[in-house]
Amino acid sequence: MTLIVQQESSGPWARITIFTLALSLAMIIPVAAGDVFSRDREHDYDAPAPGSYNLPVIKVAADGAVIKSNGRALNLRDVTRERVTVLSFIYTRCAAPNACPYATNVMSQLHHLSLEDSALAKNMRLVSMSFDPDYDTPHRLAEYAEAMRDEKSGCEWDFATTKSRADLESILNAYGQAVDKRQNPADPQGPLYHILRVFLIDRDGRIRNIYSSGTLDVRLVLADVKTLLLEEAKVSKQ
Amino acid sequence: MKTSNVSSRFLFVTAFVVVLNFGSTRADETCSSPYLARIDGQEEFVFVWTLGVDGLGDGADKLVTVDVKPGSPTYGKVVSTASVEGRNEAHHAGFTDDRHQIWLAGLDTSRVFIFDVFSDPAKPRYVKTIDNFEKTTGGAIGPHGAYPLPGRMLIPCLSNAKDKGGRTALVEFGNDGNYIATHWLPTKEDAHGAANADFADGYGYDARVLPRKNALLTSSFTGWNNYMRDLGQLLGDAEAMKHFGSTMVMWDFHTRQPKKIFQVPGAPLEIRWAWDPKHNYAFTAAALTSKLWLVYADEKGEWQAKDVASIGEAKGGVLPVDISLSADDKTLFVCSFLDGKCRVFDISDPQKPKQIHEKQIGKQVNMVSQSWDGKRLYFTSSLLAKWDKTGADNEQFLRAYVWDGKELKPQFDLDFTALKLGRAHQMLFGSNKLGPNRVVASK
Repeated sequence: MTLIVQQESSGPWARITIFTLALSLAMIIPVAAGDVFSRDREHDYDAPAPGSYNLPVIKVAADGAVIKSNGRALNLRDVTRERVTVLSFIYTRCAAPNACPYATNVMSQLHHLSLEDSALAKNMRLVSMSFDPDYDTPHRLAEYAEAMRDEKSGCEWDFATTKSRADLESILNAYGQAVDKRQNPADPQGPLYHILRVFLIDRDGRIRNIYSSGTLDVRLVLADVKTLLLEEAKVSKQ
Repeated sequence: MKTSNVSSRFLFVTAFVVVLNFGSTRADETCSSPYLARIDGQEEFVFVWTLGVDGLGDGADKLVTVDVKPGSPTYGKVVSTASVEGRNEAHHAGFTDDRHQIWLAGLDTSRVFIFDVFSDPAKPRYVKTIDNFEKTTGGAIGPHGAYPLPGRMLIPCLSNAKDKGGRTALVEFGNDGNYIATHWLPTKEDAHGAANADFADGYGYDARVLPRKNALLTSSFTGWNNYMRDLGQLLGDAEAMKHFGSTMVMWDFHTRQPKKIFQVPGAPLEIRWAWDPKHNYAFTAAALTSKLWLVYADEKGEWQAKDVASIGEAKGGVLPVDISLSADDKTLFVCSFLDGKCRVFDISDPQKPKQIHEKQIGKQVNMVSQSWDGKRLYFTSSLLAKWDKTGADNEQFLRAYVWDGKELKPQFDLDFTALKLGRAHQMLFGSNKLGPNRVVASK
C-alpha cells in the first residue's frame, strides 16, 4: 500500500527515502498503535455515553455534483442521506500528520468498528471527499480507497472527487471548508493549506456536528453516531 | 477491538510526513482559541474593536485596523476604519476558526457585526449583522465576544432579557451566522447535575476550552443592569454590588453539560489555559477582590480552584481586568484598570506566582494582547463606556510595547481621542499569512 502511494506521488514525496520512512514509523508507532477506546495524551478524558446528550442541528448539508472513485457521477446528497454519514474533506497529497492522514485514520477506525457491529454497518456511511480534483482523479482515489479500505464488508465508505473546480468551489463554500494553495508548492506539509473539517450528518441530511483538530476523536464520533441512532429509535417509538 | 490493520494504514499514511513537519516562526496572540488558524510569522495588523463616542468623529462604533508590519511605511498607523450602525457598547470580538471573519459583539444592543478579514486584512469588509439575538437565543442578551470552535462560534453572554440581571447563557452560532443552540449557565434551582450546585449563580463572562481534557471553563461577571450603569453610582449602591458573579463552571465540552461549580468570589473574568501539553491548569483574575486564581487538575485528576496571589496592594483593590499568559506558560501579564498598570508575574510555579515587573501604561488600561513569541504586547484603554474614567484621566489609546524578559519598553502610541476614533477596546491580530491551528501545531 505504501509503495503505491509513494510511487505515484510527485514533488517532495518522491524524494523521501526508505530510511526516513523507517525513522518515521519508529516515531509514530507508540502513539498510533493503542486501542481506540483508551485515553491517550491528546484525548485525556472519557467519552460520553451515547444518548446522554443532544446534538443540535447546525444546518442542512449542502448538495453538489461529485464523481465517485468508480467513475460514477452523482449528487453529494445521494451519499449524505438515508444513513448517518461521516463526511471528511481531504486530499491525498496532504502531508500534515494531524490533518488528512489523521482524519482518514479515524474513518478507517470507524469502518473497522462497523465490521463487528451490524447496526453500524447497516446505518452508518463514511464519505471521504477530495478537494484536490486535479490530482485526486477517480482512478487515483480508487487506489487510495483500496489502500485505506481493504475490507469489503462493514459500512459503506465512499471516496469522491469533482469533475471541475467550479463544482468543487460551491461545495467547499457551502461547507465552510477553507482551502488555499501554499506559497511554496513543494511545502513538506503538502501543496494545499486547509483546515481539518469532518461533518456528522443525520439521515435527513442535516449537519449535527463538525469536527476539527482536537475534537476529531474516534470515541466522540462513535458516541455521536450512536446518539443519532438512539434519537431515531426514540422518535420512532413516539 | 481490532486495531492492528487500522493502525498500520495510519502508520503508512503518516510515516511520510512526520519528520518533515518543520516548525515555523509563529507570532500569533497567546490568548486566542486553540481551534483558530494561526498567523504564520509576525502579526501584520492589529484590529481594534472601538466604542463610538458622541461628538467624536462619526460617533459610531468601529473596527480600526492598525499596521504593525515591521518596516512598513505605515507602521504604527491606522490604515482603515469601518464603522457600524450606532453605538452598541462595543466590547469583545473573535475570529471564526478559519480566520476568514471577525465577529464584533455589542453588549448593549446585543448585535453582532460580521466582517470579512480574509480577502484583504488591511481593509475589513462588512458582511452582515446578527440583530435578532434576544429572540433567536430564547432570551440571552449581552453577547460578550465570540470564541471560535470547529465550524461554529461560542458566544458567552452576560445577561438576559427578562430581568437584565446576571443570569445568562452560552450561545452557539454556525460560522455563517445561523443559530444552533443556547446553554443556560447552572443555577441553584437548575444546576443540570453539576457538583456544588449550592454555589451556582447562573452568571457568565468568558468561555475557554482545553481540547485534550475535553474541558470547557466559564467565568462570571454581571448583568446589563450593572454594566450599563455609571460606575460611580454603581459602587455606591450596596444592593447592586451584590449582583456580581462569584463562580466558575467546568463543563464537559463535547456534551456542553456543566460538571462542577467553583466558588470564586469577586467576578472572575478572563480565562487563560496553559499551553504546555502537561499543564492542566488555567488562570483567571477576580476583578473585585484583586486576586489571581488557579483552576487546576489535582493529583487525582479532579478540577479544583484556588486563590494563588494578590494583585497590587491598594486598599479597595486595583480592579484587575485583562490578563495574558505567555506561550511558554512562564509569564502572566495582568492589567489593572484603576491604577492603569500592567503587572508581570513569574508563574513558573503556577501555585506561587511572583510579581517581577510593574509598568504604568496609562491613566487607565484594560486589554492586553501578546504575540506568540512573547516579544510584543499591545494595550488598550477602555473598559466600558460608563465605567471609563472622565476628564484628563479618560485616556483612550492603543499602545505597543516590547518585552525583553525584564521590562516593558514603549514602541508606539496611538491616541484614539485625537484621531477621533473613540474608546479603544479589544485587539485581535491579523495577517495575510495563515498556518494551522494550535491543536495541530502543538503536536
